[in-house]
Amino acid sequence: MHKIEVDAKIDVLSLNKRYAKENREFFRKNNILVINVMGAIGSGKTLLIEKTIDSLGYKIGAILGDVVCKADYDRISKHKVKAKAINTGKECHLDAHLINHVIDEFDDVDILFIENVGNLICPVDFDLGEDIRVVMVSVTEGDDVVAKHPEIFRIADVIIINKVGLAKFVGANVEKMFNDAKDLNPKAKIIRMDLKEGIGFDEWLDLVNSYVSRHNREG
Amino acid sequence: MHEMSFAMALLENALRIGEEKKAKRISKIRIEIGELLLINPEQLRFCFEAVSKNTIAENAELEIEFTKARVKCSICGKEYDEIKNICECGGFIEVNGGKEMIIKKVEMEV
Repeated sequence: MHKIEVDAKIDVLSLNKRYAKENREFFRKNNILVINVMGAIGSGKTLLIEKTIDSLGYKIGAILGDVVCKADYDRISKHKVKAKAINTGKECHLDAHLINHVIDEFDDVDILFIENVGNLICPVDFDLGEDIRVVMVSVTEGDDVVAKHPEIFRIADVIIINKVGLAKFVGANVEKMFNDAKDLNPKAKIIRMDLKEGIGFDEWLDLVNSYVSRHNREG
Repeated sequence: MHEMSFAMALLENALRIGEEKKAKRISKIRIEIGELLLINPEQLRFCFEAVSKNTIAENAELEIEFTKARVKCSICGKEYDEIKNICECGGFIEVNGGKEMIIKKVEMEV
């Protein structure tokens, strides 16, 4: 018996990259705008998708990722849109392979929302083939939540700071959160929002409409 | 904790290479991890130890080297060693790479 060293040069994430590319090709072929909504547990991801479905005239579909149970799926299904729950089991994020299994069911939608598992860390490393990455946080997570999770804010196209109406009750400084987000990612669109009070929601809808127009124009 | 899925992918790849070379034991896996990949090396080692039990890669050492991201101003082209968002010239800084996990070499007994 003797020892040998074998050159490998294997990209461990290559499988995810391959599926993400395949997903992106499928979405492009079917002219679907795909929005990956990431954020902490209870930040308001599901409510954002629910209200967007009710407010826009597009044909919308949603993939809801959760570790267990189908609570988010049940909520979205009530809005009469095509929805699919993905239970990741022990995993803390969705990956491109899981998405690849279900995309065929969404070939006729205009916008596909993918609600990622509630987590500000793990989804960062997994491209799903989406066009737009939204990261949603709420003031109740503490006003240092942005500074504590730089990587996810750095990869975001849209950063939503939700529940700003509660800031005074929980002692959170919304401007600190806004400025932390701006420092980390000067290119991202940052929205101060309170979904229950309707603050910032029109700004979000305008943004989605502009993404749809750009998507239709550029393909 | 997604170290578990990375540990499983590492193991699968190492075992496949081991099988190709008819290895009796895999003793070391050398990997490069990008500094921005959200992986904790200690947790990765812990997960690898768990998933490699009762395989030829049991007790294999994970030798980890971190690689830097490329940090460069999109306007003036100045490069930085550390992650920054705005350049001295006021331009946006682009951060590329630093998110890979590459298996470089697998050491085995044949």
